[in-house]
Amino acid sequence: MLIDSTGKVRARYLLATGASAKKSIQRCLDELVSQSKQDLSGITMISTGYGRSQANFVSKSVTEITCHGIGIHSLNKEIQTLIDVGGQDSKVIRIGSNGRPTDFELNDKCSAGTGRFLEVMAQVLEIPIQELGSLALKAKSPSVISSTCTVFAESEVIGRIGAGDTPANIAAGIHKAMAAKIATLSQRVGVVKPVAVTGGVALNPGFRFYLAKQLQTELWVPDEPQYTGALGAALLAIDTHE
Amino acid sequence: MDVKKMSQKTTTEPPKEKAYRKLYTSKLLRETMTLHILSTKTASQNGRLVWVTSGFPVEIPVAFDTVAAYPEQYGAIVGSEKCGPLLCGFAEELGFSQELCSYARSSIGSVKKPEQSPLTGLPIPQALLACNNICGTVLGWYEAVSEMTGAPVYLVDTPPLEGDQPPHHLAYVKSNLEGLITFMSETFNQPYDEEKLLQVADLSNTAVNLWTKSLEACKNKPSPLNCADRFLSMAPIVALRGTQQAIDFYQAFYGEVKERVKQGLGAIREERVRLLWDNIPPWFTIYNFFNTLAKKGVVFPADSYTHAWSANIPRGEALESIAQVYSKIWLNKGLSAKIDKMCNLIKDYELDGFVLFSVRSCKRYSLGQMVTKEVITRRTGVPGVIIEGDMVDSQQYNEAQAETRVDALLEMIL
Repeated sequence: MLIDSTGKVRARYLLATGASAKKSIQRCLDELVSQSKQDLSGITMISTGYGRSQANFVSKSVTEITCHGIGIHSLNKEIQTLIDVGGQDSKVIRIGSNGRPTDFELNDKCSAGTGRFLEVMAQVLEIPIQELGSLALKAKSPSVISSTCTVFAESEVIGRIGAGDTPANIAAGIHKAMAAKIATLSQRVGVVKPVAVTGGVALNPGFRFYLAKQLQTELWVPDEPQYTGALGAALLAIDTHE
Repeated sequence: MDVKKMSQKTTTEPPKEKAYRKLYTSKLLRETMTLHILSTKTASQNGRLVWVTSGFPVEIPVAFDTVAAYPEQYGAIVGSEKCGPLLCGFAEELGFSQELCSYARSSIGSVKKPEQSPLTGLPIPQALLACNNICGTVLGWYEAVSEMTGAPVYLVDTPPLEGDQPPHHLAYVKSNLEGLITFMSETFNQPYDEEKLLQVADLSNTAVNLWTKSLEACKNKPSPLNCADRFLSMAPIVALRGTQQAIDFYQAFYGEVKERVKQGLGAIREERVRLLWDNIPPWFTIYNFFNTLAKKGVVFPADSYTHAWSANIPRGEALESIAQVYSKIWLNKGLSAKIDKMCNLIKDYELDGFVLFSVRSCKRYSLGQMVTKEVITRRTGVPGVIIEGDMVDSQQYNEAQAETRVDALLEMIL
């Protein structure tokens, strides 16, 4: 994401990291230049996320935990707890008064409770990932998926298909299981309201529905939840520059 | 803008001075431990080798003129040599679960295939001595090794303690030690000599005192030792307690620590953040982990693990004194004792935060870390983080995840 000194977004680009973080970084930079018609030489940059150390030309690398905190605080100063569910991991962050995290928890090494979990389940159900959440909302009687391990849950889903459960009910069961996992993670930090959800999974209505139900609270979602961390990094770059 | 061109700029910079300082006594440490390893081989040939667990009252087998080898320490070597997955795999082929302690798996694996193990495995013991003050797995583990080697097992049973030790608890543990005396006398055909045991206990205390003083010197700023320094230098206090060799090493070691303090030299060149470490380290990446953080100005002046060998055996009736000390190892005392200890370390060593390493193998050590994190922060006001992995089995460790968590903690502190 490229922002100007007033914080206005001038360009942004989203892509999967793929097999090479360096190539993805180059593609992102090319895209930012193309969108903004701006020469990036001399511009203060901050890298974040799992490939952050690969961008060794930046002023600073900052973890996505801090960046998400700063990002969400700039979008909504009221938010006290942020739940970010991305493809690689999920995190719950307690936001301090200046947007800096004061505590956080991340999922364990297993991919349960991350976007990857839903991607695997969508493949099993032969449904595009974008449609999985809406399908879950059509369920009449959600299937019981007890495991929160991606591998075991996949076997369970296949078992439910074999038992004749409808795709909608299975999809609902999958979202319920995932929401339960994230809710447990949230309780470890303590759910202080208002609560926001970011990351690609925040776009999934089925997940939002079941998570709100589990946490018994409304969830605030920014317009483009996948960009929250990048926004935070860009805002930190302004601070660094100043 | 081209990433490759920008990256090239950084590679032309002159190499920087290392962020950490190497201890010159590490040479003596290597020599001391090499001699110990050689002595275990000779002892095995002479029919006088015992294997013991890390919390075992080793003063007793030493007083019986046997040499002690430590499978847990061997596990650390296996981890450092990065062959944990291979040796654990040998045990898994025998049917042991991946959920079992990786010290146990690598030990059992090395007994099965010594020719493929570092140092060709530990020499074959004549007796296996386990004490469950550190965990309950040790008994099953030693029984498995017993089946493979034919060496008999003796268990010193120390039931978990909450609060002070009641008289019946002490009497029970003491009776276990009396049983051990009989077992050692019969197995090694040697009578018990209480005076000798008291002399060994004195030697043990001298080494423990030198070790404790070295640890406490880390209250200084900058800290003269980092985590990896202590984890490596603890080898003699574990394996050679009760011998003159341990005293000789720790005299030199403490001398170097004092010298560093006097000269204001820290374990790392620029100390910015002081953290507490909890649990056994990931041996397979110990240098990489702590030295990467050293480059960011992070030092670990204290940890919960190496402080475990700091109790003195009081003068008095030998077996009763030993029963008292070895029952009260804090791993045997429940979560509150551990939390109290960690809070005190944070206060006394003026630490800015803490890292709890959740070791998948070591349930006894890792259980309760979530609540521990919450309570420590509430009591001390400093933040902490839990990272996950294992001490030997690198398959259970994700470096990028661990790094992100610790970096986020640093961003909260700095």
